[in-house]
Amino acid sequence: MSPRDHVIERLLIANRGEIAVRVARSAHRLGIGTVGVYSEPDRNALHVDSVDVAVALGGATPGESYLRGDAVIDAALATGADAIHPGYGFLAENAAFARSVTDAGLVWVGPTPDQITLLGDKVAAKRAALAAGVPTTSMIEVVDGRIDGDVVFPALVKAAAGGGGRGMRVVRSADELAEAVAAASREAESAFGDGTVFIEPYLERGRHVEVQIVGDRHGNVVHLGERECSIQRRNQKVVEESPSAGITPETRVALCDGAVALARHVGYEGAGTVEFMVGAAGGTITFLEVNTRLQVEHPVTEAVTGLDLVELQLLVAAGEPLPIAQGDVTIDGHAIEVRVVAEDPAAGWMPSTGTIGRFAIGDVGDGIRIDTGVRDGSVISSDYDSLVAKVIAHAPTRAGAARRLARALRASQITGIRTNVESLVAILGEADYLAADTPTAYLDEHADVLTPPGPSGDDQVALLLGAVFALEQEHRADDHATPFAPSGWRNLRTQGQRQVWIDPGGGQLHVEYEMAAAWWSRGATVQSATVRLGPWPEPDETGALAPDERSVRSVRLLERSSNRQVIEVDGRRQAIDVEVVRHSAGLDDDGVGAVTVNVRSAAGSLTLVRAPRFVLHDAESATGGPISPLPGTVIAVHVEAGEAVVDGQVLMVVEAMKMEHKIVAAGDATVTEVRFAVGDRVDTGDLLVALDHGDGA
Amino acid sequence: MTIGTPIRSRLDTRSADYRQNLAAMEQLWEAVAEQLSSVPTIGGQRYVDRHRTRGKMLVRERIEALIDPDTPFLELSPLAGWGTQDPVGVGSACGIGVVEGIECAITGSDMTYRGGSANPTSWKKTARFNEIARENRLPVIVLNESAGADLPRQADLFIQGGASFRDLTQLSKLGIPTITMAFGPNTAGGAYTPGMSDYTVFVKGKGTAYLGGPPLVKMAIDEIVDEETLGGAEMHSRTSGLSDYLAVDEMDAIRITRSIVGHLGWRKLGPGATEPDDPPLYDPAELLGCASADVRIPFDIREVLARLLDGSRFEEFKPLYGDKLVCGWGSIHGFPVGILGNNGILFSEEASKAAQFIQLCNKRDIPLAFLHNITGFMVGSKAEQGGIIRNGAKMINAVSNSTVPHFNLMVGASYGAGNYGMAGKAYNPRFIFSWPNHRVAVMGPKQLAGVMEIVARNAAAGRGIDVDEEALAAQTAGLEAQIEHESTALFSTGRLWDDGIIHPADSRTVMGMALSAVHSNAIEGATEYGVWRH
Repeated sequence: MSPRDHVIERLLIANRGEIAVRVARSAHRLGIGTVGVYSEPDRNALHVDSVDVAVALGGATPGESYLRGDAVIDAALATGADAIHPGYGFLAENAAFARSVTDAGLVWVGPTPDQITLLGDKVAAKRAALAAGVPTTSMIEVVDGRIDGDVVFPALVKAAAGGGGRGMRVVRSADELAEAVAAASREAESAFGDGTVFIEPYLERGRHVEVQIVGDRHGNVVHLGERECSIQRRNQKVVEESPSAGITPETRVALCDGAVALARHVGYEGAGTVEFMVGAAGGTITFLEVNTRLQVEHPVTEAVTGLDLVELQLLVAAGEPLPIAQGDVTIDGHAIEVRVVAEDPAAGWMPSTGTIGRFAIGDVGDGIRIDTGVRDGSVISSDYDSLVAKVIAHAPTRAGAARRLARALRASQITGIRTNVESLVAILGEADYLAADTPTAYLDEHADVLTPPGPSGDDQVALLLGAVFALEQEHRADDHATPFAPSGWRNLRTQGQRQVWIDPGGGQLHVEYEMAAAWWSRGATVQSATVRLGPWPEPDETGALAPDERSVRSVRLLERSSNRQVIEVDGRRQAIDVEVVRHSAGLDDDGVGAVTVNVRSAAGSLTLVRAPRFVLHDAESATGGPISPLPGTVIAVHVEAGEAVVDGQVLMVVEAMKMEHKIVAAGDATVTEVRFAVGDRVDTGDLLVALDHGDGA
Repeated sequence: MTIGTPIRSRLDTRSADYRQNLAAMEQLWEAVAEQLSSVPTIGGQRYVDRHRTRGKMLVRERIEALIDPDTPFLELSPLAGWGTQDPVGVGSACGIGVVEGIECAITGSDMTYRGGSANPTSWKKTARFNEIARENRLPVIVLNESAGADLPRQADLFIQGGASFRDLTQLSKLGIPTITMAFGPNTAGGAYTPGMSDYTVFVKGKGTAYLGGPPLVKMAIDEIVDEETLGGAEMHSRTSGLSDYLAVDEMDAIRITRSIVGHLGWRKLGPGATEPDDPPLYDPAELLGCASADVRIPFDIREVLARLLDGSRFEEFKPLYGDKLVCGWGSIHGFPVGILGNNGILFSEEASKAAQFIQLCNKRDIPLAFLHNITGFMVGSKAEQGGIIRNGAKMINAVSNSTVPHFNLMVGASYGAGNYGMAGKAYNPRFIFSWPNHRVAVMGPKQLAGVMEIVARNAAAGRGIDVDEEALAAQTAGLEAQIEHESTALFSTGRLWDDGIIHPADSRTVMGMALSAVHSNAIEGATEYGVWRH
């Protein structure tokens, strides 16, 4: 055990991402030095820059890097660290690792290995909870497949080990029970190596409420109020807040007192979270588990209590008594946290990986906290979890916090990857959310928040024009031949300057603009343009142009830089942040290929793709099929007329100059004619297989 | 480091005179603008619509697709043919535009006017276009689609028309790339346009080329053949080799052409812009009101310079000598330029000052801009005795043998030998642009009619007959009206005496593009001159 009066001087943070950054911040504030660790892909990550010294673990996957407890302890010893903070995830609830840390003479920032072991087993934890008098429904243990008690339906079958919803089954009638128990057990066995399951009542439309506790080795325990984390998808929390708006004061007291009782019962040291389900009717409470670590959502508790949980963790880990008593803890206002993840809610929360072009959260002022491990240029890989940032708003009221948070998110810009930011904004403005009617099934019941419409109307127009004029400005900057000329200048004008964009829904946005000639640019004159929105008139079958019914906008470009366009549309000013992303070098400069532009304003953000001016037709599709490259003999024919072929498919083999030349399809097509058979002589330029590419060419 | 010091304008743009003149200039420009707006659909709506039903773009739509986005395009001779038997614009578009970052000379035929066939003025316009490409070393892109010659008018175009093919191949010899896109028929003579080009791009199913079309082939050798077999894009791409690139459609042809330009590795030979390109201190939009709508009313050419030159900066040469011709140095969009601007008629002093100034600019390799507002050289016994012919000869000698690029900006009148001394059309300036108030003739209409009246009276007196005053008055008035009509900017531009009438406020942009174009070629002053008459 660490000496009682040990002072931590150098802390190794055995984690990555936002939590490593966040722990380092508190450590540095307390004057404690920090050591980081990193995997190979994280070698230039923000968390590595946030510590004093960082040690390479190598590898990419967690198993090759952050889960290598021995390597982490070696790093601590090699760098003179005297304590290890595990963050959350990875090694945080690994009792064996905690024991190795203390065995190595280092301070473990967390509960004792025995406490981790005890509370990590849900069955053991629930027994302890029952023994401590924690309010909870009963538990029916399953021993060797035998169900030891009367099950009340609906019921929940849960695995004793692990978490995250695996090994969990809702059972609504007795005849499903045996099968559910078997299935949950198999799943738990395969996921956690422990097939133990138990049964407890299932609370319909329940809410997830948890209590933050901190204990020291001197027997002091305080709770820091509760958090509500009911908005989840697949048991991953999405929105968390403190205090809970959905429980009665009586329930609150019962939960908090219960949590403290349990902590006292096990002599809990450090920060932990006691999780409960609270039923909708009558406040039925089920104890779920104890998380023996700092939670992802701890910042909402910090916001309303004004305490630094990492500071408290470090103090009690060093053997200090808790500096606060329960009476010192007050709850001030309301805090809400959202988890911004690199997942696309509209596409079934499909993970999104890639390089972040720009990371910016809007309007970071009073009452907004951002915990993140990323910055511009960070890479989101599939090796680690998808959390990009936590954004926390604190305000006197819940509604105020929701508004403040929504505003910050709406004006945020995270490009290069898909995120759930729009959905988070939608949730924060949704009526049931604002009415605190948020059971854990909230997202299932409100699928519409997963596919919120983007900015519309004039907001969308301003964003579109931000992209249009950013590109226009780039084009002018790229013109080294006539840079002095007004944009799109003509002495005989027949049309304006045209751009076509593709919105996230695949729709086309046509913009035609005429820049006013900037004859007089020394004075106060700003560039202005007449803009027409919508498809330009196209000829009908008689060749006549359709009537021009486009809306005309008067635009002034008040301020222009490579990443910002301040645009006034019909007298309404909007500042647009712009990020131009070129898809591949050399393709887009002549208009071939696409340019992606990420734009954002206070109204929201949008990703637009500029439709290519030209389509790249393969030379062969222009000629109606492959032609013989050399004089030779057909030695194989692989297709017949009428057959559908795909890009790259081998159609025929021609032997020429003792070489076999594979004749392949250039693009998907239908074979209209095979013009030669095996053994036929072919000449250079002979059309070998006629293809219909179906493109009207 | 900059050239000169700022000119201080004395123009009161709030004065009644200025406003009145501005209104008159606006009216003159409106007449030009109206003509310009008629050009793109000169073939008639019916033919424009028919062209579009074939899935084809109009020639100017093709040019819009060809040039780099948001770059300028300077159309040359847009009103060629005005006042002639040929249509305004002559059924073709010519100009200078930026493709893949390279300034190119771009021309295309307008299929909607008589099948894109050539007429006498369109040959002139093409010849001038080829001259501009050659002198300024601009890569040439031809957007071709032409039924050939306008056969009923063959007498006026057959002989001279052949020069355009010679021009193309001579451009090639000079290393100036020529690219032809075949969007439609390239018939008879038109077939030599791709035939003489360095690169050809044919649009599949649309572009054709043959010396004789199916009807002529039937007449000549009694062969019955379809168009595709005779001269289709695929045939020329696979069999004859006339087509270097087969394009899927028009946009594909334009894409391929851009790609060809991209590989040229083109380098301009001139030094390019070397001075700061800051705007004038006075609004160039005021150029519209600077020059007199009525060319008989004098104005100070320095007011034009104050709105034309970078930072209004001008280093005046010999300001105290021959002050009716303002000479000096400045820059336009960073391109150094020597200016000769008229502030009255040319006397001996002005002429010899010009000769010296032109020689200096040739020594320094500085292009010359002649701002015409000239009614001619001084006449009369005093001038003649002072050697006006001898001194005028110096100016014309200097101009004729000068090898730096010359520009004419017609900001007023250009009468008589003054036009020659100021490097007028006959002296092969690289570019000539006119303001709408421009007048050009051997002399002013009133003077010319008056001279003819005196000649008539002298002739009558010589024969001892009485002058029929009424008839003479009518004859004089008629002649004055005729000369007035033949002196206008529209009349001049219709005959390709210039490269286009421009809005005065566009002068900096147009001059900048023209200067940039001449810098595609080397800028080299003359080392030798004819004998100076002293």
